[in-house]
Amino acid sequence: MSVDSGLGSRVKRAFETALAPEDVIGDPIRCRSYECDGLTGYRVVPELVLLPRDAAQVAAAVRVCAEHGVPFVARGAGTGLSGGALPVAGGVVISLARLKRVLEVDPVDRRAVVEPGVTNLEITAAAAPHGLYYAPDPSSQQVCTIGGNVAENSGGAHCLKYGFTTNHVLSCEVVLPDGSLVTLGSDTGEQAGPDLRGVFLGSEGTLGITTKITVRLLRTPESVRTLLADFPSIAAAGDVVSDIVAAGIVPAAVEMMDTLAIEAAEEAVHAGYTVGVPAALVVELDGPAEECDVQFEQVKQICDRHGCTRLHIAGSPEERAAIWRGRKAAFAAVGRISPDYFVQDGVVPRTRLAEVLDRIAGMGAEAGLRVANVFHAGDGNLHPLVLYSAAAGETERAEKLSGEIAELCVELGGSLSGEHGIGADKACSMPKMFSRDDLEVMRRVRSAWDPQGLCNPGKVLPTPRLCGERPGRYRPHPLEEAGVIERL
Amino acid sequence: MSTTTTIRPTDLRSLRDAVLDTAGTIGIAGAGTAADWAGPLAPVDAVLDTTGLTGVITHNPGDMTVSVRSGTPLRQLQDELAPHGQHVSFDAARIADGATVGGLVATADAGPAALVFGSLRDLVIGVTIVLADGTVARSGGHVIKNVAGYDLTKLLHGSHGTLGVLAEVVLRLHPVPERAATLAIHCSLEEAAEHAATVLGGPYEPAAMEWTSDGVLLIRLEGTADALDARVQRLRTALGTGELLDLQAHSDQGADRDRTEQGLPENLGTGPEPGDVPPAERAAPPSDERPVRRIGTDESAVRRDEPWERYASLVRGAPEFATLRIGVRPSLLPAVLADLPTESVTAGLGTGVATVALPPAAVAAAHARVHAAGGTSVLRSRPAGAEVPAWGPPPSAIAVLRAVKAELDPQGRFGPGRFDPWM
Repeated sequence: MSVDSGLGSRVKRAFETALAPEDVIGDPIRCRSYECDGLTGYRVVPELVLLPRDAAQVAAAVRVCAEHGVPFVARGAGTGLSGGALPVAGGVVISLARLKRVLEVDPVDRRAVVEPGVTNLEITAAAAPHGLYYAPDPSSQQVCTIGGNVAENSGGAHCLKYGFTTNHVLSCEVVLPDGSLVTLGSDTGEQAGPDLRGVFLGSEGTLGITTKITVRLLRTPESVRTLLADFPSIAAAGDVVSDIVAAGIVPAAVEMMDTLAIEAAEEAVHAGYTVGVPAALVVELDGPAEECDVQFEQVKQICDRHGCTRLHIAGSPEERAAIWRGRKAAFAAVGRISPDYFVQDGVVPRTRLAEVLDRIAGMGAEAGLRVANVFHAGDGNLHPLVLYSAAAGETERAEKLSGEIAELCVELGGSLSGEHGIGADKACSMPKMFSRDDLEVMRRVRSAWDPQGLCNPGKVLPTPRLCGERPGRYRPHPLEEAGVIERL
Repeated sequence: MSTTTTIRPTDLRSLRDAVLDTAGTIGIAGAGTAADWAGPLAPVDAVLDTTGLTGVITHNPGDMTVSVRSGTPLRQLQDELAPHGQHVSFDAARIADGATVGGLVATADAGPAALVFGSLRDLVIGVTIVLADGTVARSGGHVIKNVAGYDLTKLLHGSHGTLGVLAEVVLRLHPVPERAATLAIHCSLEEAAEHAATVLGGPYEPAAMEWTSDGVLLIRLEGTADALDARVQRLRTALGTGELLDLQAHSDQGADRDRTEQGLPENLGTGPEPGDVPPAERAAPPSDERPVRRIGTDESAVRRDEPWERYASLVRGAPEFATLRIGVRPSLLPAVLADLPTESVTAGLGTGVATVALPPAAVAAAHARVHAAGGTSVLRSRPAGAEVPAWGPPPSAIAVLRAVKAELDPQGRFGPGRFDPWM
C-alpha cells in the first residue's frame, strides 16, 4: 500500500509545490493527530495535513483544493468543542499553527494586527506594555487562537460588558474558497456596503480561511473590583443577577457555579470556594475608580439582600486571580469527579435561568446522570457539563441528554450555542431553532462564498440526507436500520 | 417606463405579499431621511414604504432586549424604553428627523456613541427579513450571545435596501446612564487631536468625543450620579482647559418605579437638584439628545443640549454641498481632513469616522484620498440633480458582494442603482 494519499499523487504533488514537500503530511499515523478537535467523540483522519507558513501559502493550498475539488478544513489549536475543525473524509486539514506572528501593536490607534495562530492571551500580552488589552476572553484563552475565535465568534466572561469577537475585529484578510485573497472590513467600524466581515465572523470556517486579523484594543481599566458570593439557592443567586441589571449596572462579568462545579473546581485548584454551597457568583466590575467604587457598594448590598451566606472580596490581584482560577478551572476540574463529560453550550434569556436550571436538574435525574453547571449568568450562556462514564456504557445517554439540553434552550427562547458554535455537533439540531427557509437562506449565503462547497463542508448547516448520521466511525443511520434507505 | 406604485404594508405577512405580488424592481423607503444617501435609486416599478410596520413586538426589560417592526422611528422606540431606564445606545443625528430602525440598520448609520457602543451592527441581535422571492428568513434572537448559524443581520447592515427588506429587528439595550456631562474645548483640529490622545490615553472612559469645524472639541462623560463630578473634574484637570456644559440630569419616574417594584432602594444616588435647571428649559428632550436619568426625584428637567445639536446639524450637511462619510485610522484622520476642501467637518477622533460637507466636484478626489489612506467613504447626500460619485474604488471582496446579491436577489429587484458602479 502506498503511503501516498488517497487523493492521488498528482494532487499531493500540487500541494507540495504550493507549500514545501516537508510541510505536507501524508503519513496516516501523523495525520491521526489531526483527526478531531476538542470534541473527541467525532474523529475523521484527513488525507493530508498542510502546514503553510504564510498567507500566500494558505492561498496557494486553497487554490489547489479548488482546482482539484478537494474539501478542506482550517484548524488552529484544535480547542473547539463542537467539532468545527473535524476533518472531512477525503479532504485536507490546513493547519494555521505556523501563522503565529504578532505583526503590529499600535498604541496610538489602539489596535493590533496578528496572524490567526496567535493565542487570544498572546494578544493581550503584546498589548499590555502599552496599557491596552484585547477584551474577548474565552476561558480557553491561554491556548485558543484568534483565528478560531474569529471562526466561532467567541466570547468569554467579560463579553457581557464588552461584546464578542465580532465587536472587536476591525478587519480580516481572508483566503476565499477559490483561493483569492481579500480583506473584509476596514480600519474603522465604518463600512462601505454590506458588512461581509460580520458575516464571516462566526461562520465556523465555512466561508474561507482568515490569514490576518486586525483587532481593536481597549485601555486596561483603571479599577477592577471582584467578589465571590455564596448563596443558599440558585434562585437567590439568579435574583442577584436580575437586580444588578435592574439597578442599571453592567458588570464586566457575572459568572455562576453550582454545587458540583464548585466542588470540582475547589478540589482542583483550591481557589477558596465554599464546598457544599448551592450556588456561587463571581461578580466583577471595572472602569474608572470612582464609578467602580459606587457600583461595587450597590452590588454588595444586593448580595446581602438576597441572603448571601459569604461575601469574599478580592483584596489583591492575587486573590482576584485565585477567584478566576477557580472559575476557569471548572471545566477541566470536572474531569476529577467524573471519568467523562460533555460540555454543552446553550443560551437562554437571562430571566429564564432559574427555570432552565430546574429543568436541567430534572432531566439529569431522569437520565440518571449528574449535570454540573458553570456559566456566564450575565448573558444567559449556560455550560452544563453532563457527567458520564463511557466505561459504564453511559455515552449514548449522556450525548442524548446534552443534545436535549441545547434544544431546551431553544424552546425557552434562546440559542443552540453561545460561543462554541454548531460545528459537526449540533448541525442536526439547527432545524429546532431555524425554519427550513431560514436555513435555506443561510445556505444561499454560503453558496455565494463557496459555490463548490469545499470549505469545511458538513458543519453548521444540516445536510438533510445525512442528519442523524454521525461523522466519524460508522454507525448505521436510523433510516438504514429501519430498512428505508440503503448505504451505497 | 412603468408607473411607480407605492405599497405600505402593516405587518410581516402583508410585507411578504407585497414583495410577491409586485413584479419588477422595488425601492425600499422608510422615513426618507436617507433617501439620497449612497447611489441614486434608479426608477423602480414599486416603492415599499415600511412606515406602516411600526411598534414594539416584545420588550423584555429583565433581558434588556427589544424587538420592533422595522418602520418604527427610533425616537419613538427610545421614548417607549425610557420609563424602564433603558435605551438603544445609539445616537445618529437623523434620529431626530424620524429615521426608522430599519433605515438606520440598512444605511449603517451611527453617532458619537459609536466610540463605546459601535454602530447598530453591534447592537442588533436578530432580524427577520423578506427576500426578493418572498422568502421570510430569521437570524439571531433575543439573547445577546448567539452563534448559531450565519449572522444575516450583518449582511443587511449597510446594504442600502439591495439585499432584502428588514421586517423586524431585535436590539440589545443598555441602561440609561444616571448622568452625563460634556466638556467643550475651543481648539483647532490639531489641538483637538492632542487632547484626544490625552483623553484616550488615560482612565477617563469618554462616552463620546467629537470635534466640529466650528472649532470645538466635545467630550462627553456618562456614569453614576455619585461619581461623575469627580470624573469630570479629573478630566478637566488633565486637559488643563474645558468649559463644562450640561452637567444636568433629568428624572425618569418610570425608572424609579421599575426599581421600586423590584424592591430596590429609591434613592441610590443624588444628583443636582431640579432647581439647578431654569424652569423654561424643562422641556421634553430633543430627540437627538441622549437622555440621562436621575434617581430619587419626582421632577423632570432637561436642558437643551446645544453643542450636540449643532454637531448633529453639521452631520446632516447642507443642501448646496455633498456630504461624505469617511472612516480612516484615527491617527490619520486630521491629515486626511486637511487634504479635503471641506465646508464643514465633524470628526470622531477616537473612532476615525468623520462627516464632511464638500463641493460636489470635489467628491471623486475625496473618495480617492480616503481610499489611499486605507479608509472607506460613502456619499450621504448630494445637491438636488447633481451627479456625484457615491462610492470610491470597490473593496477587494467585491466578487463576494456580487455573488451574495446574485444569490439573494438574482433578478436585481431591490434597490437598483444604489451600488452603482459596484454592482
